[in-house]
Amino acid sequence: MEGGLEIEEATVKRRTWWTLQGLIVGVTLVGVTAVFAETVYVQARTAQLRSGKTSLDQVVANLRYGDPLEVLKKEGSWLQVKTESGAQGWIYAGKTSKTKPSGGDNGLAQLGRSMRGSEASAVTASAGARGLDKVSEGYANRAGISQKDRDTVDRMTAYQIADQEVEEFLKEGGLGEYAK
Amino acid sequence: MRSKISTVLELLAFVAAFGGCAEVQRAAEDVARQSGNERLAGVIRGTGTLVAGLLPIGYEEESSIGQAIALQVVARYGGVVEDPALTRYVNLVGRAVANTCDRPDIPYRFAILNHDSINAFAAPAGYIFVTKGLLKQIRNEAELAAVLGHEIAHVTEKHILQVIQRSKQIAGVTEAGLAYANQNPAAFKNLIDGAVKKLLDEGLDQSKEIEADQLGDVFAARVGYDPLAYVTLLVRLRDLKGDDRAFFKTHPNFSSRIEAVQKAIQAEGLKTNGVLLADRFAKWSKRI
Repeated sequence: MEGGLEIEEATVKRRTWWTLQGLIVGVTLVGVTAVFAETVYVQARTAQLRSGKTSLDQVVANLRYGDPLEVLKKEGSWLQVKTESGAQGWIYAGKTSKTKPSGGDNGLAQLGRSMRGSEASAVTASAGARGLDKVSEGYANRAGISQKDRDTVDRMTAYQIADQEVEEFLKEGGLGEYAK
Repeated sequence: MRSKISTVLELLAFVAAFGGCAEVQRAAEDVARQSGNERLAGVIRGTGTLVAGLLPIGYEEESSIGQAIALQVVARYGGVVEDPALTRYVNLVGRAVANTCDRPDIPYRFAILNHDSINAFAAPAGYIFVTKGLLKQIRNEAELAAVLGHEIAHVTEKHILQVIQRSKQIAGVTEAGLAYANQNPAAFKNLIDGAVKKLLDEGLDQSKEIEADQLGDVFAARVGYDPLAYVTLLVRLRDLKGDDRAFFKTHPNFSSRIEAVQKAIQAEGLKTNGVLLADRFAKWSKRI
């Protein structure tokens, strides 16, 4: 069946050609998408991904500071985004930044700490739970700071407001994502 | 003549120091010591210390510095206003702005200084103060948000820490982290006193104040406050105080600050239809 073989050969060639073309189109599309895909980062202590572009819409996911988000669409003060894990939703644009946040301790500072070895990382927002530390207490002694003033800074250091309270405050004032 | 091994070890130590690999550095130091070259061991150790001293200040050290400076601010400005509800309000406005600033992952705390002068201060690690005198000049929450935003920007940009870093280099502090403060408390006190003098008496570089004005207004606008409110406040203060720098010596004159803020609003495309919240502010300002 020589004829059949020829047909098969031609079919294979054609298939290869189409596959190749498909590949080219595919690669081009990926390239184009890559050029237009904008990445933003969560620039807030707390941020929610919502199902719609109002603060009343359901929370789809809680996002963390520094999380990268792919921007799909912009509408008013809201961005439709996709997280790294594939979740889609809307976020208030004021809680995002185009540049990756460097954080409280940047790479160089961390490097310095790793060389010193003994210092533990203290960069968490709840790190304020303690009062004056040993070094500043020592300074207070040398500088003759009164007990009253020490107590003031001590209380200030330990002062905390829950994220939920701040959220309520924003809501009440029509601020951030609660803008009317 | 330097032996090959010395050169290799020094190079290794330098690379390790810059690469942050303390183990490699220590190993190089040990090899040098074992080979009987105590001087070289010293050089290797010194390389690490020197580089560590030039590295940016980490958060633990920043926190101690911030507390020490805060102690001086409180002491020199007659303590704080003891009104928990009012203090909570100022903290809520401050936190609203700080939560979406460029460095939202450290704690920020706010207090009202019991002083009639018109001023506000920021110590490293997020210790922020506003005087009773300045609060009396403020007419709405958006103005307060921008004032706190200005102080938050000093913290996010580490303006005071840069002053300390320079002083540390000039003073020849080579120990990294808080080692110098623990070993030599007098040196730490000198650094703090120098920074306090700069903050309270001499003022930071004018460019840093302008940067804080612009960035602080961007932070306030990000959360939805009207950025023009800050311009209104600065104009009110200029009318009150004039452009005489002797009056307000720690900051640039008001006219250049107003111009810089207006430029930032334009350049950043900030929306000028944000909220002012004059009523909510008025409820609290009555207590001042």
